[in-house]
This record gives sequence, C-alpha cells and structure tokens, in this order.
Amino acid sequence: MRSLVLAAVAVGFAAPLRAADPPTHQIPYRLTDTKHVLVRAKLNGQGPFNFILDTGAPAVFVPKVVAKKIGLKVDGKGWGSFDQFELEGGVTVPKTRCRVEDLFQLEGMNGMGLAGVELHGVIGANVLARFKITYDFTADKLTFVTLDYNPPDPKGLGGKGGQGGLEVIGPVMKMMAGFMGIKPNFTVAPVGFLGIDADAKKGGVFVTKVFPDGPADKAGIKVGDKLDTVRSNSLDELRDLTRELAKTTAGQRIKVEIVRDGKTQTLNVKLGGGL
Amino acid sequence: MTTKRILFGLLVAVTATAVAPAQDGGKKEPTAKPVVVGMEMLPSRHFVVRAKINGEGPYRFILDTGAPITLINNRVGKKAGLTKKGGGGLFGGMNSVPVKTLEIGGVIAKDSMAVVMDHPTVKAISDAFERDGGPIDGIIGFPFFAKFAMTVDYQKKELTLTPNGYQPGDYMQDLMKNLMNSDALNKPRTVMVGALWGFEVGKEANDEKDGVTLLKVYAGTPAAKAGLKAGDRLLTLDGRWTDTVGDATIAASLVKPGKPAELKLTRAGKELKATVTPVKGY
Repeated sequence: MRSLVLAAVAVGFAAPLRAADPPTHQIPYRLTDTKHVLVRAKLNGQGPFNFILDTGAPAVFVPKVVAKKIGLKVDGKGWGSFDQFELEGGVTVPKTRCRVEDLFQLEGMNGMGLAGVELHGVIGANVLARFKITYDFTADKLTFVTLDYNPPDPKGLGGKGGQGGLEVIGPVMKMMAGFMGIKPNFTVAPVGFLGIDADAKKGGVFVTKVFPDGPADKAGIKVGDKLDTVRSNSLDELRDLTRELAKTTAGQRIKVEIVRDGKTQTLNVKLGGGL
Repeated sequence: MTTKRILFGLLVAVTATAVAPAQDGGKKEPTAKPVVVGMEMLPSRHFVVRAKINGEGPYRFILDTGAPITLINNRVGKKAGLTKKGGGGLFGGMNSVPVKTLEIGGVIAKDSMAVVMDHPTVKAISDAFERDGGPIDGIIGFPFFAKFAMTVDYQKKELTLTPNGYQPGDYMQDLMKNLMNSDALNKPRTVMVGALWGFEVGKEANDEKDGVTLLKVYAGTPAAKAGLKAGDRLLTLDGRWTDTVGDATIAASLVKPGKPAELKLTRAGKELKATVTPVKGY
C-alpha cells in the first residue's frame, strides 16, 4: 500500500516541461504478424479499435461496420467526423475527419487472420501530419511530438479509379479463407500460470521460488525441486519450460514430474490464469 | 470521390501473400548518425523520396509505413538489374528479389528485399502527378525503414534516419507458416507473458466499463509488493489500455522482467498509480 501511495505522489510532482518544448507523447504500438504498425484508438469514447499507421493513406479510414457501431454520421460522400479521436498513450485529436469505406486490404487480412489481430482501420495523413512521429522498432513505444500544423485536405487523382481495381481482392481472400478452413479467432488469453521461478543448472531445471497459494504451491511443488518433465517432455534448459508452457491455457491440468531428495514424484498441476 | 482512389498503403500486404519468402539479411550499419532527407509531398498527401537502387537512379518512390514490402516497377527493376524470378503463386509473377543497395539521401540499406512489379495504384498516382516531377516508380516499405529510427515530419517535409540495428526478419515466411497452419488461426491466441507480475485479471461478459478487475494478487509477487489488491480495477499497464483480459495479457507481455511499468488503477472510486517491476517467473 505504501509504495502505491508513494508512486502516486511521485507522479504528481513530475517536473513540468519547459514552456518551449512541444508536447511529447510515448505511444504504445506493436507490430502485427504482417509487419504493420498497430496502434489503438478510442472513437468518441468507444472502443478501443485497432488502427495501422499508414503514410500511404491520405486520411483516417474506418469500415462501415465500425462507423455503425459508434453511431457515426456519414455524409453523402462517405465522410464522417469524430468529435474525439483518442490514441492509446494519451494523444487526443479533436474534430477528426474520416473516410468511411470498407478497405479490401483490411477485409482480406481479417478474413484470413493474417495480421494475428483484427484490424479496424488505418490512420493516414490528416492525423499523422499533426505530429512528428519517430518509428523505432527497437523501442516499445513510438514518439509523437505535437506540431502546430493542420495539413490541407488531400486532392484526388482525377480520372477513373477506385482502389486500382484491386477492391475485389478482399472478398477473394475471404473466400479463400473459407476454402482453407480458416475462420480466424482473434481472442487472446494468457498461457497457464505456475507461480514459480526457476533456473537451469547443471543437471536440469530447478525451482528457485514458489509463490504462496499459486498453482504450483497448491500442487505441492517446493523450492529446490528439479522439474524433470512437464507435459511428459524433459527439461534441460529454461526455454524448454517456456516451450511447454506456451502450449497451455489457464485452468488446464498438466503433469509435472519432479525430483526431490532423489525420488521422482508425479504431480498434477492445475494451471492458473495469473500474469 | 477523391481520396478513395489513392489509398494504397496496405494493399501490398494482401497481394504479397503469395510471394516467395522475403529474406532480409541486412546488417547493422556502422555509422549511427542521423541523416535528414527532404521529401516532396504530392497533392494526394503522399510523401515522395528519391532513392537509388543498386546505384542506379535516383528514382521517385512513395514512402509508405503501411507497406510491409518494398515495391519497384519493372522499368526501374530492369535498369537496376533486378531480375524477376518465375511466376507462380496466387497473384502470379510476384516474387521478391534481393536489392544490394537501396540508398536514400546517402543512407544505405544493404540486402533488403523488394518485389518487382507494375502496380496499378502506383501507376495511377504516377500518371496523375508525373507531369510535376517525373514518374513514380514504386513504394519504400518496411524492409527499408525498419532498419532505422525514422522520424517523419509532415510540416518540414523531412525524414530523419538513424540506423538502429533492427533486423526486419522474414515476415513472409511467417505468413506462409500461418496459412499452412489454419488450425492455429482458428483458435484463441495464447500469449506467453514472459515476466511474472503476480495478479490475475478478469471481466464479466456483461461488464462494459473501462478496465479489468484484479481477481487475485499473489503474496510476495511484484504486484503485492507494489500494494495492488484484489478488487482493484486496472485501467492501463505501461500506457496500454487494459479493457479486456486479452488486452491486459498483451500489455503485460510487452514489458520485460526488471523493467518498471506504471499501472493506472481505481480503488473504491479513486484513481491510483502504481509502479510494478515484473520479475522473471512462470
């Protein structure tokens, strides 16, 4: 409790930025399996929705289903406007225009689950231009420096178009996904939790810590036990433990063989949902 | 009827799924000085940079953070000695080839992969704007810019590149693996957190409020030491929203053991902040 209060106080007294410094934000991101830069945004307070940062897009794009979900008014030309566009990490852009359109790129990737996460839209120039953004994939955040800049609206290409005739690809990909038996599941859950720490030493992997009342504790695992096998696979290194746990889910029962005082015991561990 | 024609950033992601694996054996550049490169902005709000391919050029390319591959049209591909391999695949004729050097403003990426093809959207943009500065010959995507800390400044129309040693990896191969393993795509994703925090979170199906609830805080863990309690509502972890168990899991998985992270919580209606340093654990 004490450190919680201390932390709260420390934050309260953080040194103010110099007046001359433009506001800088650390924006959480992750790379999708398709190597897109994913950030999350709440639209008029709803969401979060998953967006890709895309200098190849002239504006924010959301599909019709998202527009409907948040009750966005769309004009006759397919444009809407968010009163509040809030990026995860604390950047809020007021009055953000957005294009309401189903993008074949997103439809295709979502149909097959290729990105490993459901993609809801893209963030293009009308928002990106308001910040000086640093992309560095060796860091876990993007840096957004607010610019005093409101970019002009984009101009079209003239002539005929659409999405270069490629709008059909999304539906094709969806159909292929059907043929291949893919019905993507975007739910995320943690792997099973043991509640221990362990180290690899000569002769195997040994338990160095058991947290009271955790799944391992309840199953009778003790500090000093050698983890001989997990899920019937023997452990030589810590990554073997990681590998076995990676295949588990919370609530699952797994077999763990330990060696204590030279004797092997088989324990049945009900994995927890802890982080 | 304007901008709908010009969005193309993500398209490559989809069309490229049938392309051969894009190996990217780029090495860390020895110099790590930032280089500032001027960019040109098209009326369509696309940035154009001038790039030399295998020493040829410079040619004009669109810088696209939404493109997981680099795209070079056939004309420039031929001049730079990039030979297309045989066709095949879902969108036949698309294959990635290694580019020995891709240079922008003196910054060189070695051995990055690119796909050589005439892309209809690139051509549409080129046709619309080539009168003002010549043709546009492709897209600079992830295999190039991921090797740098890259700052994009729309106001100054400047790109700042600093080599960062990041290896873009071989995402195409991962994609193909994913596709071959449709079983895994159909199941919920389990995420290895990789550090031990010491709490369990949950949320009822009909709970629409922000955050997740701490169901349990294990004694002796970093969470317990930081004063977290069962019943606390966790709103953010390391700046990431935690509105579902999955979100909290992902946020927790992105912090390495030993690195302090700030958590925003509410307890009995009051907002609290806590710093938790997760430890190694399982």
